[in-house]
Amino acid sequence: MRRDVFQAIADPTRREIINMITRESLNLNSVAENFDISRPAISKHIKILSECGLLIIRQQGRERICEANLKSLKEVSEWIGQYREFWTSKLDALDNFLKTSSSSKRKTTSKKSTLKTIKKTKAK
Amino acid sequence: MKQEPFIIERTYHATPEKVWKALTDKDEMKEWYFNIESFEPKVGFEFTFEAGNEDKRYKHICKITDVEPGKKLRYSWRYEGVEGISFVTFELFPEGGSTKVKLTHEGLESFKTDHPDFKRESFMGGWTFILGTSLKNYIEK
Repeated sequence: MRRDVFQAIADPTRREIINMITRESLNLNSVAENFDISRPAISKHIKILSECGLLIIRQQGRERICEANLKSLKEVSEWIGQYREFWTSKLDALDNFLKTSSSSKRKTTSKKSTLKTIKKTKAK
Repeated sequence: MKQEPFIIERTYHATPEKVWKALTDKDEMKEWYFNIESFEPKVGFEFTFEAGNEDKRYKHICKITDVEPGKKLRYSWRYEGVEGISFVTFELFPEGGSTKVKLTHEGLESFKTDHPDFKRESFMGGWTFILGTSLKNYIEK
């Protein structure tokens, strides 16, 4: 099994665990209490999160505290950024296209557009 | 569990009719989107185009699933030789003289392949969670 941030967040239970411990560090029992699935199953998810580097287990007396370590999430946001970049550039291109095609139209219907522009400016 | 889709919104100073034409007329699409050989806004219509980076171009295969003229256009979006299918939806909302476009890209997590370009995509589940909650928390901490 892969052990990286992408593997860590591929599972909804693990995402929920990250969410919880991002808000506050919790011991294993407190994490498990929030789920309907078995304690061993939760332990396994926590182990995976820890191996993926998103969660750090700290021993505090008799308790084991789970802390979030979210640095590696940056890697994910960078990857998602590729899709964001793609669609942003396409929607920008659409904006440019609509602007240029409306300015060429304006030459023929310039009076009307100008009037509209004036009205809008006044309304503001 | 179904993953959250990717959503991006933008408002244009143009009527829905004009935006719709830009989204569905191949001569207009060529100007800002992709050069598509033929395009008809009809359910079931299939179109393809090539796009990608300098190293590798992917053949995109799309099939229209929903058409509400002036309001909504949805098509499947997959890559030749790559397992998985996603869906792109454009929704148009009139706002005075302007038009709000809501773009939704869902199913990106379904692209499962060993190709290095896509390897990460199969693990993208939860990206909205990342952007919406955790990364925000992380940055603001």
